[in-house]
Amino acid sequence: MSLSALTLLAAEADRVSLTSQTRIIAAVLAILFMLLILDLIRRDRLQERYSVIWFAAGLAMLAGAAFPGLLRFVADLMGVRDTNVALFSIVLLLLLGLALNFSVIMSRQAAQITRLAQERAIERAKEQAAREALEGRLNGRREGEDAPDPDRST
Amino acid sequence: MRAKSAPVEQSLALRTLVFIPAWNEEASIDGVVADVRTHIPDADILVVDDGSTDSTAERARAAGVLCASLPFNQGLGSALQTGYLWALREGYDFCAHLDADGQHPPAEVARLLAEVQANRADLALGSRYAERTEALPGAEIEGEDYKPTWTRTIGINVFRFILTLATRQRFTDTTSGMRAANRRVMKLFSENYSPDFAEIESLQLAVREGLRVEEVPVRFLERQGGASFLTPLRSAFFIFKGLIVILVGMFKPRRHAEAER
Repeated sequence: MSLSALTLLAAEADRVSLTSQTRIIAAVLAILFMLLILDLIRRDRLQERYSVIWFAAGLAMLAGAAFPGLLRFVADLMGVRDTNVALFSIVLLLLLGLALNFSVIMSRQAAQITRLAQERAIERAKEQAAREALEGRLNGRREGEDAPDPDRST
Repeated sequence: MRAKSAPVEQSLALRTLVFIPAWNEEASIDGVVADVRTHIPDADILVVDDGSTDSTAERARAAGVLCASLPFNQGLGSALQTGYLWALREGYDFCAHLDADGQHPPAEVARLLAEVQANRADLALGSRYAERTEALPGAEIEGEDYKPTWTRTIGINVFRFILTLATRQRFTDTTSGMRAANRRVMKLFSENYSPDFAEIESLQLAVREGLRVEEVPVRFLERQGGASFLTPLRSAFFIFKGLIVILVGMFKPRRHAEAER
């Protein structure tokens, strides 16, 4: 997109139902949002790989505020007369996609946690077996005999 | 690891593991362990403690069996998979599992094991509802017969129908937690065992992988302690979840077990 096209898009603000006041608020919110993301990464509260999508969302917000014509352009592409409807549809779809993405990530992590728990359980049983084998030897029991068990004759 | 220290003639013999998933079953675990010992004397026993908050794990260890304690409650599927994983890694040839609440008579588990040990099936499944061709098995076992509640009966029938349709093999008791398996099944289940619907999906998976799954008529007893977790609402959710699992399972890619046979 050339620079002249950008200025054209910016100039079309009056065609879109956005006052300069809302545009400023939106731009400020977008910048604050991205700063928040940066801060979360800085404090190790958010991993970089999960931050990309949020940065993209912040940039999209900023772009929408700076060039309201973009929104008109997208709405026309979608065949929607009302830009607000276009905006809400896009945001809704994006959030839906994000939520699904999180469910996928959550499922993967749940599977990993399950396997970790199982490995730990198996380690515990092995520790018990080793401990009992040692104790059995100390008590002078025959090597290879199972845990103390009077019911069982080998 | 125990096999290494066992006498030579023993380590050459085929080894069997019976594992018992248990979640807060301190009232019945000793009795079940003792019963398994009596009826399946050749098997090693492992209790898989599914994050119990009572003394289940301590009682199991005190009873002289190994206990694999999951650090937190994971659900039956995960506990069962832990058992299969242990059986696979410790080199057991056969394994079986039964519930810790006393509903599953170990004498019946022994009959399931006999099926897989005789290589008549890869996975033998204890069914409360399969028709009994021989004289009533397990008649000598003391205890009250198991009677399902009406919500459970609905669920059982829905799953019976759907799973039979999906696998083209007749199943009468799809949620039975009394099973015996060989190493093929251990390999499959230790890798692929959906934690959400272990009982049903595992059957579907086994049939899809070309394993021989066989139902064996068994007697179940009324539970000795504790209560079933199923309320009507939960049953409905259970059934709904099961339907999704089976439907999706029909379109899952096949793995490799067939090639190994």
